[in-house]
Amino acid sequence: MNLRIRRLTVGLLVLYTVLFVQLNLVQLVLADGYRTNEANTRDIVRLFSEPRGSISTSDGTVIARSIEVEGELDRLREYPEGELYAHVTGYLSLNFGASGLERERNDELAGTSQEIEIKSFSDLFIERDRTANLILTIDHDVQRTARAALGDKKGAVVAIDPRTGEVLAMWSWPSFDPNQLSSHDLGGASQAWLALLDDADVPLRSRAYQERYAPGSTFKVVTAAAALDGGHATPTDPILEVTDNYVAPQTDRPIMNFGDSSCGGDLTEMLRVSCNTGFAELGVTVGADRMAISAGGFGFNDPSPVDLPNAATSIFPSASFFTNNIPLLAQSAIGQFETAASPLQMAMLAAAVANDGVMMRPHLVSEVIDSDGRTVDSVGPEVIGTPITFSSAAELKAMLENVVVKGTAKSLAIEGVRVAGKTGTAEIEGSDGTHAWIIGFAPVDNPRVAVAVFVEGDDTTGQQTGGATAGPIAREVMIDALEATVAR
Amino acid sequence: MNQYRAAELGLILLAALVTAGTYALAGASESGLGQGASIPANIGPFLVVVLGVLVLAHVAVRRFAPEADGTLLPMAALLNGIGYAMIVRLDQDLAKFQAIWTILGVAAFIATLALVRDIRVLARYRWTFALVGFLALIAPIAPVVGREINGARLWVSLGPVNVQPGEFAKIALAVFVASYLVEKRELLALGTRRIGPILVPDLKHLGPVLAAWGASLLVMVFERDLGSSLLMFATFVVMLWIATGRGWYPGVGGALFAVGATMAWWRFDHVQSRVRIWLDPWRDVTGEGFQIVQAFFALASGGITGTGPGLGSPERIPARETDFIFAVIGEELGLLGATAIITAFILIIGTGLRVAVRSRDEFAKLLATGLTVTLGLQAFIIIGGVLRVLPLTGITLPFVSYGGSSLLANYVLLALLLRISHESAHVKTDQVLVTT
Repeated sequence: MNLRIRRLTVGLLVLYTVLFVQLNLVQLVLADGYRTNEANTRDIVRLFSEPRGSISTSDGTVIARSIEVEGELDRLREYPEGELYAHVTGYLSLNFGASGLERERNDELAGTSQEIEIKSFSDLFIERDRTANLILTIDHDVQRTARAALGDKKGAVVAIDPRTGEVLAMWSWPSFDPNQLSSHDLGGASQAWLALLDDADVPLRSRAYQERYAPGSTFKVVTAAAALDGGHATPTDPILEVTDNYVAPQTDRPIMNFGDSSCGGDLTEMLRVSCNTGFAELGVTVGADRMAISAGGFGFNDPSPVDLPNAATSIFPSASFFTNNIPLLAQSAIGQFETAASPLQMAMLAAAVANDGVMMRPHLVSEVIDSDGRTVDSVGPEVIGTPITFSSAAELKAMLENVVVKGTAKSLAIEGVRVAGKTGTAEIEGSDGTHAWIIGFAPVDNPRVAVAVFVEGDDTTGQQTGGATAGPIAREVMIDALEATVAR
Repeated sequence: MNQYRAAELGLILLAALVTAGTYALAGASESGLGQGASIPANIGPFLVVVLGVLVLAHVAVRRFAPEADGTLLPMAALLNGIGYAMIVRLDQDLAKFQAIWTILGVAAFIATLALVRDIRVLARYRWTFALVGFLALIAPIAPVVGREINGARLWVSLGPVNVQPGEFAKIALAVFVASYLVEKRELLALGTRRIGPILVPDLKHLGPVLAAWGASLLVMVFERDLGSSLLMFATFVVMLWIATGRGWYPGVGGALFAVGATMAWWRFDHVQSRVRIWLDPWRDVTGEGFQIVQAFFALASGGITGTGPGLGSPERIPARETDFIFAVIGEELGLLGATAIITAFILIIGTGLRVAVRSRDEFAKLLATGLTVTLGLQAFIIIGGVLRVLPLTGITLPFVSYGGSSLLANYVLLALLLRISHESAHVKTDQVLVTT
């Protein structure tokens, strides 16, 4: 019998070896596949059950927090301000993942980043919540003003402190209520999600930083900067002929002025009246190379430096493209054709001019603070480029102030404050409507705020101009932002 | 103190330390999932109780079976301890019951060692064991006392507690089969007839196989317990083969089991469902396949070192305290912890079969084999079910799963193995050959 018992031992050993092999397959070899399997909601459930840091504006208004609830999941992600910060915080959803800062700063909020996890050996033994809270640069008042000023118009408002790159407000309408998506009622969340996906106005995407549009005449600031820096123009020279059309080389189709009017003169005058014919000619004079360098310097064609996910890259066609397409260079110089920018990009442009030609990295997170109040990460001002020289910037600032005092951007004027700005009205292919733009900054001698307002046009909006439609919105936001930045 | 007992005491201390460590970590994380963790206040008393119970068992072995192998008890203690710490982490209320059952199990262990001073005495009561085993087997079917829980009719209601008599039946039947085979093995080994080139057993010698097959079919059909049915029948066939050396017993047994299984598959929806899940659990991850898929997710999230006790999400796995406790261990203690469990069972099997090999008494030898095979196959069937090596059949993981009957029965089984181990060593030292 002993021989057979020994054989039996071997047999049982074989069975257990099979178990051991399979165990290794499941826990090691195939584990990654199981971990990322779409039916595996362990990580997300865990994410929802564990503590998570809050997100607050610079003045302490809480805009995202986790509250304890009864149920399968211990915590509910709540957005007390609803739609107001939907595109900033994003959402944290059981079914649909995360977006915005919830996604970009997940490691810190969830307490899984290395810096927060273990600060010292003693942390292993004391009671401590390792999650971190985000403090934003956004000012709650300015953000609310942006929403109120834009009203029910589709569009976006971005306000930046040009000295630091701190984003003071970033509003996009239509927006959505992220509470619907973070709800534990999965059926309701799915319904809300599908409705948002079906919505032709794409409320899930931020018009402020995730979409780009033809910037129209606001782009003339880039063309002017290129002309100044390239030595092709000064504020007073050359003086172009007053005309109602400009015909570029290689074509016989003329570029016309707004309302078929006639304009010309020096750079100051052409900016004041937003002269299409003059700037088209200036763009061709400056040349594709110089235009591309200036546009690139302001951030076009580079991934957006903002600290938010899925930010749109603003575009200006490459220099080589224009060699045989000079008429399109003329179009691009006045912000039409394929030139496209996000409102955030245009605010950065205004801010760079305001800050004497020095461009600061735009950011929304100012500080990451752990549960003990210790600052884990502090985001300071960071220079990301000098798109124009100091002297060109000074000339440009003076000319843009003139646009507000005597030109198309009068609606931006604020009593007792020196304001500079530039309007834009962009044609939309296949529609009679126009996009209305305005960019501006104040006070001119020491700018604390730069804004960009974009009002989306379509067949229903008709011909809306930057001065009439976008200007008053930007003015209101600027007044509030100037107040908010007095102490900064 | 002889070397076995010294080793046993040392290993018991280690098992107690591992248990207390796992318990402390699980309890610590229970208070807040890694945040605000603190060692449970009762860790001191807990360690004292664990040590007390184990030392008591150790003293009983010293007193009643001093020459017995020194690793079996510590292995069982380790499995029991890790299982208990996991149950504490999963369900505090169940853990209280499990603690009581563990103490009762060790009491049964001591009582068995004290009462069964000579293993051969059991052989004298073989028909009693046969009757008791059979009655225990069919008791759940009986009206009034029989209870059906989770679709399987395995329980007998005795006042406030539900008992799973099948767990005890497997020991009684092993005793019966061992003594029956010792007597009949020559006969069963001989009776073959030659038809053409192959040896075929006499029909009358197939009787016992058919009887065992019938009994396991009974369990499968009326109690809907595939696991126990497979376990009992396999144990019986293995014992028959060990006793007779006739390879056609496992052959015929396997064929009969295949027939039974096919019939069951054809006849019962729940069997079909088990096979479907086994073949492709991913077809219906939120329905039929949910349990095994969740177990796989748990194992995958554990990785090599595991999430740490109390830090996984095993609450998503159905039957986590019982059938699927192996997945919980895999998640929280990782591949290393799960391998430790598998290794512990391999060591128990190796030791049990070594005890059988060393035993001079044929009955003891067969019984030791039968008991070891029962334990080893039971662990294989359920771990294999969780890992999708086999279709899932719900039985407990010996010593680890929550369950009073299982714990009690396995401690009795362990005591019998130690008794046989002691006797084989005892015989050797005294140079007395015992024949039957």
